[in-house]
Amino acid sequence: MSSIKEKFNQISPSEFFYSNRDLAGFSNPTRSLYTAVREFVENALDACDQKGILPDVHLTIKAVDPEKPDPKPYILTVKDNGPGIDAEHIPLAFGTVLYGSKFGLKQARGMFGLGATMAILYGQITTNKPVTVKSSVDGATQHIFELLLDIQKNKPVIVQHTTKEVSKKGLTVSICLEGDYSKAGNKIRDYVYETSLITPYASITFDDPKGQKFSHPRFVKEIPPPPTIIRPHPHGIDVERIRRMIVESQFEIPTIDDAMIEKVRKDLGLSAKSFSFTGIMEKAKKKWKTLPRQVRVVIALMSFLKMDFDKLSKIRIEDIDMPNNKLFYWDFGESQSNSIDMDPESPYYKQLTNTVQGEPLTTFLTKRFQRIGPTTAVKFAEFAGFKPEKRMGTLSNEELVQLSDSLQKFEDFMAPDSTCLAPLGEDPLEKGIKKFFNPDFTAVVQRPPSAYSGFPFIVEMGIAYGGDIKSGGPHVYRYANRIPLLYDEGSDVVLKVVNDTDWGRYKVKGDPPFIIVSHICSTRIPYKTAGKENVADRQEIERELRLALQFLSRKLAAYMSKRGQADMAKKRANLYAKYIPLIAEFCTELAGKKKAPNYQKILDDNTVESKKVEEEKEIENN
Amino acid sequence: MKTTKEQSKINARSKKADEKQKNILEMLKSHGAKIYDDLDNGQFPKFSIPSRSVSNIVYDKKLRQYILGNNAAIRNSRNSAQLRSFTQLMWLAFFANRLTHEKKSSTLRDVYYSSQAFAIEFEDQSESDNIIVDLEAVTSKPREDFHIFPEERSSIFGDLNIEYTIPGYEGKTMNLSNHPDGYSIGPSLTTAELVDTSAEIVIAIEKGGLFTRFVEEQIDKKFKSIIINTGGQAPRSTRTLLKRLHDEMGLPVIVLTDGDVYGEHIAMVIKSGSANAAHLRELTVPDAKWVGVWATDIEKYKLPTIPMTESDIKRCYDLQKDPRYQDGIWKKELDVFLRLKRKAELEAFSKYGLTNITDKYLPQKLELAKSL
Repeated sequence: MSSIKEKFNQISPSEFFYSNRDLAGFSNPTRSLYTAVREFVENALDACDQKGILPDVHLTIKAVDPEKPDPKPYILTVKDNGPGIDAEHIPLAFGTVLYGSKFGLKQARGMFGLGATMAILYGQITTNKPVTVKSSVDGATQHIFELLLDIQKNKPVIVQHTTKEVSKKGLTVSICLEGDYSKAGNKIRDYVYETSLITPYASITFDDPKGQKFSHPRFVKEIPPPPTIIRPHPHGIDVERIRRMIVESQFEIPTIDDAMIEKVRKDLGLSAKSFSFTGIMEKAKKKWKTLPRQVRVVIALMSFLKMDFDKLSKIRIEDIDMPNNKLFYWDFGESQSNSIDMDPESPYYKQLTNTVQGEPLTTFLTKRFQRIGPTTAVKFAEFAGFKPEKRMGTLSNEELVQLSDSLQKFEDFMAPDSTCLAPLGEDPLEKGIKKFFNPDFTAVVQRPPSAYSGFPFIVEMGIAYGGDIKSGGPHVYRYANRIPLLYDEGSDVVLKVVNDTDWGRYKVKGDPPFIIVSHICSTRIPYKTAGKENVADRQEIERELRLALQFLSRKLAAYMSKRGQADMAKKRANLYAKYIPLIAEFCTELAGKKKAPNYQKILDDNTVESKKVEEEKEIENN
Repeated sequence: MKTTKEQSKINARSKKADEKQKNILEMLKSHGAKIYDDLDNGQFPKFSIPSRSVSNIVYDKKLRQYILGNNAAIRNSRNSAQLRSFTQLMWLAFFANRLTHEKKSSTLRDVYYSSQAFAIEFEDQSESDNIIVDLEAVTSKPREDFHIFPEERSSIFGDLNIEYTIPGYEGKTMNLSNHPDGYSIGPSLTTAELVDTSAEIVIAIEKGGLFTRFVEEQIDKKFKSIIINTGGQAPRSTRTLLKRLHDEMGLPVIVLTDGDVYGEHIAMVIKSGSANAAHLRELTVPDAKWVGVWATDIEKYKLPTIPMTESDIKRCYDLQKDPRYQDGIWKKELDVFLRLKRKAELEAFSKYGLTNITDKYLPQKLELAKSL
């Protein structure tokens, strides 16, 4: 038996990711350097966003030995002006896998804080150097940690911990990792450039290993409102998630030991003197509303046991059998098991039921999900074939699946709440595009919130033409939750929508100088791969993208047609300027005149205004 | 020393040439003045130009030639699509004006190149040729009147005295039987005055080879004729000359061509013009007669033949729709060609001896022409 058990030993998350690091984008030195940059920059921006701080992010990549050929070790440092991390959390945050502060349901660049730890792990594997974390939460003291990961135990090893006086808040993370900048450089520069387009309120600088400095100062002073954390939408949920929510909603019967009895006594405001059972119950009734759940459960038990504190300390609750209304306990004094009947009519009965069997279905729905009211909850219970008061703790596996299926199918739930989303906004997006491309024409649109599978999303899009934009367009800049997507373009839903468009219909022809900026915000972007580089073609998202693009394309078409007219007028004016003087010259000699006719008037009229020429057709004289 | 009578004749002739030149210059001037005034008044100049589209080419039975109908197009300098060709036409008028003033001649090719000195770009010569036709259409004058000539390829031989009007040769005369290779019909000959002739008929032949044979065989003397080589489809200068020989010297004109549908049409164009030149009226000899080689001659003279090609046959069907081929010899011969589906060249007579054509065939045809 024991030998078989050994084979089933758990592996730590660190170990799992160590052996599967290519899943997270750490497959080779080129990709790893790029991914590490992304993870740290995105963490820095997320941290600032959440606290409403205008981000200043400094990225530095330095070769440990510049003379060595690539791939070689690089030191990657990302410094921000965010809130910092409490010293006590730093070892866990940077020294274990799957530790993060981003588990709530709201839009953020990264979901689980996993990537940063992966980068640290990768750096440690390839260079055996610790990560350096400098953090100040108060703008006075900075904690400096050097950490290594114990991969097998998934635990941080603190190599060094010092403190220093500083004047600014913020976090600086520095790792040493094997990378290939000669190959990754382009992507990293593109990444920094494109990030600053979608984060116009951030100031981002990048010092590259070759000594080049790239600076993208902020040009929008207002930070978009931070997203709120919300409860899940019923459409976006599965069996496992419901199971976890039920566990969260249930409470264990507290262990009744001396400490617990002491706590109950204190909460009831009773002195050390022993009180009678009835005295305790009376006091509890008066103070019921202010009592915490645990205390309420103990009081409920006491009401059925009819015991005071003294007696209570001599027993241990064995089982509470709600269906049969029986309560079993072990009496230390008698050294035997006893049982008593519970009166279902007692006001304390409900308290115990809630604790042991969980909330009723309707309460579970209204309290744990977004935008479900009591009426909808009852309607849903009927739809799903459950009694509204069905206790969540009593659901069998089959019933759980039935509930999960019904949650997906029920159509009367309100659309997902989109306050958890943080789109950039039309104005900053337009400013960004104008700043970056200096175009002749710009249009932006933010679509109203929509949802796929219970996850809300918003599509923002911008289109620009002419100016500094290179020809050969459309060039598409793809973003998801303010992250630029640079790899795997081919299979992306945005590209699909753009490529499906017949640009000729919108008067865009040839090798046009134009760009499209697409931003999808969602609590969960449906990436096709773990590398987070391309968005899958969910029908609802595709539809919103299409509508956004059509709206913008129509505006572009209107502009192009105006531009075409202006071009024509200009062209015509040029033609007049070229040919009219010649005609004048020839007819002067023909007519036998000395002085040329005054044709300037015609030219002036036609340069200033762009009159439409009525084409004169053949006159039929028959 | 010339007699006073002769002198006054010469004066009259040169006066006539001057008159013609003056008319041309006046006309160009009036066109130019109109454009000038438009520009000076702040207006985009425009003019009307007879439409040369197929739908506007009609056959005039009275004139016995194709003419343009009443459809006209406005060419407006305001229309940017027409501005370039408008300017080109203006330049051409300007250029023609200079040529006429200076009594200089130029070829179509010259025109194409001369334009480049004035920043007038013609894409190719066919574009400039087209503009020349435009000028002809607007003024109803052939380009030769503006001293613009095609490349020369036709020639003339026979007892005809002419007097040059071109600069440097004014008053100089020439007899056109002095040189056995004949004289090419160029600007100087086209503009020359026709003084006198002993000939009684003009024989136009399609081919240079036969022209040489006719000169060798002294057809000019034997039949008192002027021989003209049209070099295939007769150029307009040659047609003008034919017309003048007929109108001014009172000579009948007969045409001798290959025995095929193209030959028949060469004769027809001399007689009644082509659709291409429907805008011009001074190019036809309505009384000209086609004397051979007819389709019926092929059988009659047992000429060696070659089969018609597909395009020959197609051409026959096309001409059947032409109003001029609806009766008489024209219709009859065309029908026989279509029946035979074979053709014979002028040289086919060589089967019966090199001089067979001049000794036997020609005399018969000349005799026949009198009754046509």
